[in-house]
Amino acid sequence: MCSVTKEQVYDELRKIIDPEVGFNLVEMGLIYDVDIDDDCNVKVTMTLSTKACPLHQMITQWVEDAPKKIDGVKEVEANVVWEPEWNISMAEDNVKKALGAL
Amino acid sequence: MFNISSDYAPPFKMIEPFFKFGSIAFLISIISLLFIDVNTPLFDLKVVGWAHLFLLGFVMIVIFGAMAQLIPVALEIGHYKVKLFYYIFPTLAIGTITMVIGFWFKPFLLPFGGFLVLVSMILFLYETFMTLKATTANSLTVKSVKFGNIFLTIAIFIGFLMALALSGVIPFDVSRFLPIHIILVLVGYVTVTIIGMSMILLPMFGLAHGYDDSDVHRAFWIIVASVIAFSIFQYFDFSTLKLITVILIFGAVGLYLRQMITLYNIRARKIHDIWYKHIYIAFISLALSVVFGVFWVLLKSDIALKVMMWFLLIGFFAFIINAHLIKIIPFLVWFERFSPLVGKQKVPMLHEMLPDKDVNFSFWASLAGLLISGFGLLIESDTLFKGGVVLLAFGAFLMFQTVLFILNFKPESEDV
Repeated sequence: MCSVTKEQVYDELRKIIDPEVGFNLVEMGLIYDVDIDDDCNVKVTMTLSTKACPLHQMITQWVEDAPKKIDGVKEVEANVVWEPEWNISMAEDNVKKALGAL
Repeated sequence: MFNISSDYAPPFKMIEPFFKFGSIAFLISIISLLFIDVNTPLFDLKVVGWAHLFLLGFVMIVIFGAMAQLIPVALEIGHYKVKLFYYIFPTLAIGTITMVIGFWFKPFLLPFGGFLVLVSMILFLYETFMTLKATTANSLTVKSVKFGNIFLTIAIFIGFLMALALSGVIPFDVSRFLPIHIILVLVGYVTVTIIGMSMILLPMFGLAHGYDDSDVHRAFWIIVASVIAFSIFQYFDFSTLKLITVILIFGAVGLYLRQMITLYNIRARKIHDIWYKHIYIAFISLALSVVFGVFWVLLKSDIALKVMMWFLLIGFFAFIINAHLIKIIPFLVWFERFSPLVGKQKVPMLHEMLPDKDVNFSFWASLAGLLISGFGLLIESDTLFKGGVVLLAFGAFLMFQTVLFILNFKPESEDV
């Protein structure tokens, strides 16, 4: 049985900042789900704010690296999806406020 | 899955000279306006030389540099032979300088400069078309790259023949082909390319999603059809039909502007940063350019034509390009120097890499210069025009300084 929790993974993902907007991926609402299996393999289902993101590969690499800092985590897979399409309503209120959308 | 590999991105040192040269050429082209009077005819060699310095040295060279970076993003594939950009830059830069000297001082240099520009553009077109062959994407941006580059191909061959004719090498009907050359470059290539790229960059920077993009599609096809029709009608000298195509282009620009308003209204990122300020002025200038274009068509007024060109070139092209210089260059520098440091030390946000004071002064000085010089052209006041140009030159100098500041932005450990 794996003792790693979703909260621990989310905490690590919160350390990944998008350099263009200055917010972390979790507060941007870009992380759709985190699955942890019994062997402590982590699957992060996520999206990006645009399909044309030039940092696509780099951000997914960061997402795959971040949870590995937690003791016990084995493999990490970043699964990038485009459905549902990201929109600002998925972001946390502080992001909406800072971008002028609230 | 749609996946853009950063492996496709060209090396930073390959792209850097395009932006450096572009911002220097912009500054020099603005300063050189001090030596052109408001009453100088548009086809005087002084003006033609200035137009080539501005368009080749600033607009084209920055677009080529940006395309090296953006084509993988737009086409979802890597370049066919990205190393060709190492040859494209020097041939285009030297060719442009030679052509401008040819137009201003030594006409015998025109074929040599024209040949170098031709070579650089053939390399660019070869690289772009071979890259296009490998893509399965068929977005509006892909179509804009295809059509824009076909128009550019025809334009540069006509341009080279005109350069040979102007230096007395071959007989060629310059007056018949000059309008075709102008429409193919300004509308067929630059405007079509900006339309295509703006549909990637503006939603990306503004965080705009889920919008109806039918206006920009209509605008694109009307412009493509009008550019082709204009070229044919100009060749066969069908004046009325030619006029209709010009009006259609104005209408298409109106549709494109409506699309931009749609994007603006639904954007999530509503803060008015310096990029947005440049974008506002660019699109307001494009609208003003259309208004003066209508006056030109209705009144056959040379003054209206000059003001239309002023707001198109300095208002729209320069502001939209400078807007993206201060977005794209920080990203390239960040990607090159700071992305390897993520997780190891504190890295800057992209907006923190801008010298706020310089870039703000550059914006306001350029805006004041744009309006004062534009008004000077309208009332044919050389004093007002030159006064505005001085402000524009100050803005261009600060923009050049801004570009250098960003290019020299390094992690603290490298500052020693």
